[in-house]
Amino acid sequence: MIEIKGISKQFQNETEIDYRDMTFESGRSYMLLGASGCGKSTLLNMIAGILSPTKGSITIDGRDMSAATQKERDRFRIERIGYIFQDFKLINDMTVADNIGILRLEGVDISGMDEMLKHLAIYEKKNARVKHLSGGQKQRVAIARALVKRPDIILADEPTGNLNFAIGEQVMRELCEVSRGKTLIAVTHDDRLAKYFDVIIDMNEMTSGMRDTVSEQGGV
Amino acid sequence: MLMFALKNMAIKRVQIILIVLSIVISAGIGVLAFNVAQQVDDGITDNAGYYSLIVGPAGSSTQLAMNTMYFAEEPVGTIPYEVVSDLQRDQRVIQVIPFAMADNYNGYGVVGTTADFLSTKAVAAGVMLADGESMQAVVGANVAKYNGLQVGDVIYTSHSAGSSETHTQGLTVVGILQESHSSFDNIVFTQLHTLWEMHDHGGEEHEEEHDHAHKTVCAVLVNAKNPGLAMQLVNEYHGKIITEEGKSHTLQAIEPMAVVRDVLNDADNTKYIVFVLCAVILVMNIMIISIITLLNMYHSAKEISLMRLIGISMKRINLLYILQNGMIGLLSTLLAFCVSRACLLLMNDYVSSMGVVLNMSKVYPAELLILLGVFLISVLPTMIWTYFMARKDSIHE
Repeated sequence: MIEIKGISKQFQNETEIDYRDMTFESGRSYMLLGASGCGKSTLLNMIAGILSPTKGSITIDGRDMSAATQKERDRFRIERIGYIFQDFKLINDMTVADNIGILRLEGVDISGMDEMLKHLAIYEKKNARVKHLSGGQKQRVAIARALVKRPDIILADEPTGNLNFAIGEQVMRELCEVSRGKTLIAVTHDDRLAKYFDVIIDMNEMTSGMRDTVSEQGGV
Repeated sequence: MLMFALKNMAIKRVQIILIVLSIVISAGIGVLAFNVAQQVDDGITDNAGYYSLIVGPAGSSTQLAMNTMYFAEEPVGTIPYEVVSDLQRDQRVIQVIPFAMADNYNGYGVVGTTADFLSTKAVAAGVMLADGESMQAVVGANVAKYNGLQVGDVIYTSHSAGSSETHTQGLTVVGILQESHSSFDNIVFTQLHTLWEMHDHGGEEHEEEHDHAHKTVCAVLVNAKNPGLAMQLVNEYHGKIITEEGKSHTLQAIEPMAVVRDVLNDADNTKYIVFVLCAVILVMNIMIISIITLLNMYHSAKEISLMRLIGISMKRINLLYILQNGMIGLLSTLLAFCVSRACLLLMNDYVSSMGVVLNMSKVYPAELLILLGVFLISVLPTMIWTYFMARKDSIHE
């Protein structure tokens, strides 16, 4: 279970976002909807331990991650969290297998890689360089890398953001299928994908403060 | 981690090949220059140190040393054989080798001497010179190779290179010396008395010359019982005037080691220039290698940031890059060493004219220091970079 209590994040440009308290139950899927800049990705980054909240606490299974050191958060992220980034975060010159194999640097077991790639229908591209893949294929590789380590928590930041709707929906379907039984928190602004999630959270209502983009647009 | 590092290096192979080439060229030149300069120095000194003193006609001491030890330049002149006899009777002496250089065979010099002169050499075919025999020739490896000579062949020498006028008496090749990459490869050796006989039986037109050649030598190579006695002999024979058949001959006696040392001291300035040039090349390459490595690391910042985002720790990332650059450094230094040895092999024929054999397996401690320095240079920029990266974690950028 992930508990968000009284957190806010202030950035160097003085932008500050305050979050309402939230709880994410284990084994359920959550869709965070909201306009750009309302703090969806920032929340994911704080849960993943990439960013630290300026104040408040994020507790994961009873452990206060906001009080953990960067090293502890890194360890937690590699062991427990599968993060699918909006821009894939893949090394283009490397093969699909090597992009997933990078996890072995931290001793992560990737023995399920072939099975995962087959499940995501990307196995035949295993030895292809990422730069030669289409957007949909790259997204599948990113999903495979996030899930091959069998994480408890899956964070997905706009997993269909770079894909057309048909492919995006297919990728989302595959993502929900492979992450069944795990905690899935996905950020998206496409409410047509809502049918794949247990809970929909409108982040426009869950955040407040000096949200630069949101303020300019007057919110959604 | 090793596999990942190798794969990552394979991706950046063009960049890495350039870095390796840069290191190999600079380190290879540095090591080679040092090794050659040192081996030539040591080799010339070793050769020179084999004999305690050389006695010959008055004139250039350098010419006398170079002619007797490396068969280079023309002999200074001749001295009566009586000097050899005197020295052989001298109780302070343990070895006396007469040396005469005259005639040539297809451009290769002919030396008349005794079997002792070749006592440190070995034959590849046939036998060594026998003092009791005559009209024998033992030829150097190159003489045999380039003239197609075999044991049993008869060769005819002439008075001067290119001359079609040869001696009527031929020399029978009884042995071919093993290749030594030294000046011995390019000489025909025969008994001293054979050289005299050939000149005694020459045509009338060379009568005057034959008179001079009779019972004369160009130099006498001497080994004294100890350095003190050698010094006594030098003092005794240097400037000594002997008279034979009413003609006086002024002698000079030299310590070959001292003469060669003087020559090398003059050459040392050139050696220092080579060292300075090598140092400049090395410094420039230190800068180039450092800049290339730092740029490489700078361009890797995105890759590092990506690895941080998926949870790879800075410690692992630092280790990965140090491992990669360590392998590049190790490969480069090993290649530089191999290249320097290959160049030594190629240069051997060139420096062999000085009587020096470059030994490929000869490694000086300073060479290892140069290579160690190059290795550290290739790793140091990465360590500096990773130190700063560890202080400023790219995950927050």
